Formats: sequence, structure tokens, C-alpha cells
Amino acid sequence: MTENAVRSGITQRGGLLTESRKEKLSLFLKSVRQVASRYRKNAGGVLGLIILTFFLVMAVFAPYLAHFENPKSLSWADVNPLREPPSSEFWFGTDFYGRDIWSLTVWGARASLIVGLMASLISIVLGTTIGLLAGYFGKFADEVLMRFTDFFLVIPWLPLMIVFAMVMGRSFTNIIIVIGITSWSSTARIVRAQVLSVKEKMFIQRARAIGSGDVRIIRKHILPNVVPLIFANTILLIANSIFSESFLEFFNLGDPDVISWGTMLEESYSNGDFNSPAWWDFIAPGACIVLLIMAFYLIGDALDEVLNPKLRRR
Amino acid sequence: MARDFRSFVFRKTIYLAITIFLILSFNFVLFRVMPGDPARAVIPKGASPEIIEALREKWGLNESYLSQYITYLVNTLKGDLGDSFTVKVNSPVLSILGPALANTIVLVGTGTILAILAGIALGRLAAWKRGSAVDRVSSAFFLVFYCMPTFLFALILLSLFTKYIPDWPSRGAYGEDYRSLDLLGKLGDRAYHTILPLLALVVEEIAAFAIITRSALVDVMTEEYMVTAVAKGMRSRQILKGHAMPNAMLPVVTVIAMYVGWVVSGSIMIEVIFSYPGLGKLTWDAVWGEDYPVLQAVFMLETVAVLVANYFADMLLFRLDPRVKV
Repeated sequence: MTENAVRSGITQRGGLLTESRKEKLSLFLKSVRQVASRYRKNAGGVLGLIILTFFLVMAVFAPYLAHFENPKSLSWADVNPLREPPSSEFWFGTDFYGRDIWSLTVWGARASLIVGLMASLISIVLGTTIGLLAGYFGKFADEVLMRFTDFFLVIPWLPLMIVFAMVMGRSFTNIIIVIGITSWSSTARIVRAQVLSVKEKMFIQRARAIGSGDVRIIRKHILPNVVPLIFANTILLIANSIFSESFLEFFNLGDPDVISWGTMLEESYSNGDFNSPAWWDFIAPGACIVLLIMAFYLIGDALDEVLNPKLRRR
Repeated sequence: MARDFRSFVFRKTIYLAITIFLILSFNFVLFRVMPGDPARAVIPKGASPEIIEALREKWGLNESYLSQYITYLVNTLKGDLGDSFTVKVNSPVLSILGPALANTIVLVGTGTILAILAGIALGRLAAWKRGSAVDRVSSAFFLVFYCMPTFLFALILLSLFTKYIPDWPSRGAYGEDYRSLDLLGKLGDRAYHTILPLLALVVEEIAAFAIITRSALVDVMTEEYMVTAVAKGMRSRQILKGHAMPNAMLPVVTVIAMYVGWVVSGSIMIEVIFSYPGLGKLTWDAVWGEDYPVLQAVFMLETVAVLVANYFADMLLFRLDPRVKV
């Protein structure tokens, strides 16, 4: 063993930047750059990113962008005109309770994105874990876990969500949990399929031959090969979660105190704005839901094309 | 082949039975063990202990969970789904379920068949003229409708119709003078009332199916056998019919079968918004009336329907593609 190798071995344990790590890092950066440049050529994906950035800014800076503090308060009825059409003061008009729709819309972005991201996180963790276990350990575990997954895959999500939401009670956290535990099954399927194909590769056998344990093999060899595949799926999951959130809020199964686009639509509906000339009351939240879901859909589609080499040929 | 198919059907049938059993058990657990015990929700507050005890006895709540579970399974298999609490007080759930199911099948069945035909045709057109103005415009349209929550689209339709065609029936499945009409009049009245919810459902579904078909076809077109077909000098129409479509149909069938779950969900939103008396509306009334027996039955019915749809899709897929060995 040369002196050099010994030194690099020591430094590696010390966590310093070694040649091999530098190499790995530069390879990683290179592939990221490649993906980015391919992504840029996808017009839909770029459009999706622009829309998403717009809403992200809205969500993060909501307190500064909103024209009124505490826009949800019902006391605005005494201050502002009711059902005022859009004007320079009220950009998106005011609603039945005299509340500024622009301020509500801005705050709504926050609720939608939080639910979308958190619920997807839950379902990704659940789906990846179950898919990994089923694919890696196979046999009995696979059979049981996949029956379980199929069950969740085909079960109509909406009645299930309604029942869960009802049983668990109306709160913002519960909405996130309900969406998370009803939407992990497609991820589990994808992960399992990928694990099955990676498991048979030579490098797994080599790793096993040198005595690596299951946990290490899963963490170091299988997971890195699975993650790129669930990327596009995750983005679509976020879109679905946002959709489900707006639905649950619209049908009064969510937290009535949280400002969200679904709640805005619900209030607009129950105040009869859909039958009145006050179109501005539901156009803003409605358009925002569609745009945000569309942004995630476009990004997911673009990522799928960039990361999936088979589609790249067209 | 024949033997393969038989063993495939056998295995799938066993899976179906297992999953249905899972659903029944799940249903039991969900409605009995989770917080919010149905008995507590239904027994009127301030009822005397004797009445509570009598009701608990009547519903078998004093027995062990295991014997409750067995009773529940046996009763469900016999078709005894209990009595409704609030939707239609004390009438058997089964009698409420029937008409609602019929209404939903009319709405969802017609809608889905129309949407499959139109969606596949449109998706095919878009894929074939890939990159052209037709493709771009139609794809943009599909995308918008695909991304629009069903309830939102239904609401916009409702508001447009009540605004511009105020006489158009926007609620229910039939008019007030329904009973006095003759058979033809009844059918006409129903059709007239179903158009609006049907439109709301169909447009969304068409968009989804068109997107699926288009992307499946575009995928297929990059395959080498497509190049071969062109090299052989086949006409493009023949290529589309003979080579591209049969291969593209495989993912389309899979996704459409999975989409049935979505359709059930979409029909709930639409039925609620248009007050259409189907299963979705029933789910809704049961949720808000805390009518657990009805909710339990509807949930079971909707889930089993989706399962059976997937079961048949698997059969169809096996027939379409001999390579399937799931």
C-alpha cells in the first residue's frame, strides 16, 4: 500500500475533501448542468418554473404583499365596500364580507404550497419505505405489502379522504396527514419496480460479497438509483395534493380559519356569487388553483422527459 | 395460451377476493374502532342509561369486537347493510342504495364511454399532428381542463348556465312534474337534466384521456418498428392503425382503468354541486348527517366498483398484450 493511499484513507475518515470526493462532486455538478441545459430547452417546463416561482414568492412574502393585515377578519365589512369590483385600491375586488380578495389570494398561496409540499413529503416517505421493503426483501413481505399497496392504489381517494377527514376532525394538520396517507401508493409501485431491477445488478452482488449489510446496500446502492425516478412522480404528487386540499377545503372538511383558495371558493359559493354578477370573487382563487397545479404538471412532465432517456429521442 | 389465461384469471380472482376482504375489514375498523364511535354520535344526548343500553344491545355493541366483526361480515355478504340513521330514517340502506346507484351509473357510464371515445380520438389526432398548430392548441386546452379541479369547472358551468340560460335545469335528475309524464317524457326529462352534470364530467375526462393517449402514442412513435414501417413504404394512416395504436393502447387501458377511481371521485363533486341524486350525493348527505351505515355501504360499493373495473382491465390487458405476466 502506498503512502498516498494510506493518507487519503485517513483523511477520508476525518471527513476532509479527498481527491475521490472532489471527483465525485465535479461529476455530480456536471450531470446537474447537463440536466439543467436539457431542461431549459423544454418550453413547458420553463413556463411551469416561472409560474411556480411567482407563487413561491407570493407565499414567502405574503405578509408584505397583502394590502391588509389579517385579511380573513370579518370586521372588514364595516370598513370596506362589499362586493366591490376590481379597482386600483382593491386589485381583485372585495368579497361578500368586504374583504380584499388580493390579500386573501396572496395568503392562500401559502396554504396551498404548505399542504402540497408536506403531504407529498409524507407520501414519498411512506411510498419509498414500503416500495423498498417490498422490492428488496421480496417473497412474503413483497406479497403482503403489494396487496396493501394495490388496495390503496385502486381505492377511490375521494370517499376515503372524506371518511378520514371526518373521522379525524377538521384541522389543517389533519388535511395534510389525510392527503399524505391516501396518496403514497403510486410511489411505492414505482420504487418497488426500480428496486427489483437494481437488486439483480452486479454491483449489489459485489457489495454483498465484501460483506455489506442490508441497510448499507439499501442506503448506499439502491436508494441513489431510485431517487431520480421518483423525482417526476413527486412533482405530480404535489399537484395532486394541492388539488385535494382545495377540494377538501371547498367541501368544508378543512380548517375554516386557514385562508386557502378552496375556502375562498367555498365562501364565494355559499354566498351565491356563482349566481351573481360578482365574478371576481371566484376568478382569482380559481385561476390560481389551476395555474399552480398546471405549473407542477408542466415541471413534472419536463423532468420526466429530461430524466427518462427513452423519451429523449423524440 | 389458454391455460396461461386461465391461471392468470384464477390468480387475479384470488387477489380480487383478498382485496375485497381487506376493504370489508378496513371498513369495519374505520367505522368502529377509530375515535368518534358511531354509537356515541347517534345516541341522542341526555338519553336515559336504559335507552342507551337498549340501543347498544340492538346494534350489538356490547359484544366483543371479534364477534361484531363476524356478524358484520356475515350480514354484509347476505346483503343486510343495516338501517339508515338520518338520510332516510330507519329504512334499510340497501333500498336507498339502489336508485342512487342507478342514477350514478347513468351519469358516469355515459360520461366515461363518451369520454373514452372522444378522448382517444382527440389524443390520436394531436399525436399524429405532433408539433403542429392543431397539436399545440388542443394540448393547451387539454392541459387547462386536466388541471382544473372538477368542482371548479362544474361551478363555472353552473354559473354560466344560470346566467345565460336561466330556464335550463341545473339541479336534480328530473323536474317537479316528473311523475305526471309518460315514459317518453320521463326519459326526455331525465336526459334534459343530465346534460349539464354530464358535460361537467365528460370535458374533464376527455382532457385526461386525450393527454394519456397522446403521450402513449408519442412514446410509441420513437420505437424502431415505426421506422421500419415507414421504410416498408406503408401509408401513414396504415401505420397509425396497424402499428402505433395497438401498442399505444396498452398504457391507455391501464391508465383508464386506474382513472375509474378518479371518475368516482369526480362524480361526487359533480353530484353535490348539481344536487344530482346519485351515490356521490348520497355520500355527501351521509357525511353531514353522520349516517354511518349509509356511509359505510356507499364507501364499500364505490371501492368494490373500482376494484372490479381494474379486474376487467387486467383481463383486457392480458388479451391485448401476451407479454403481460403480472
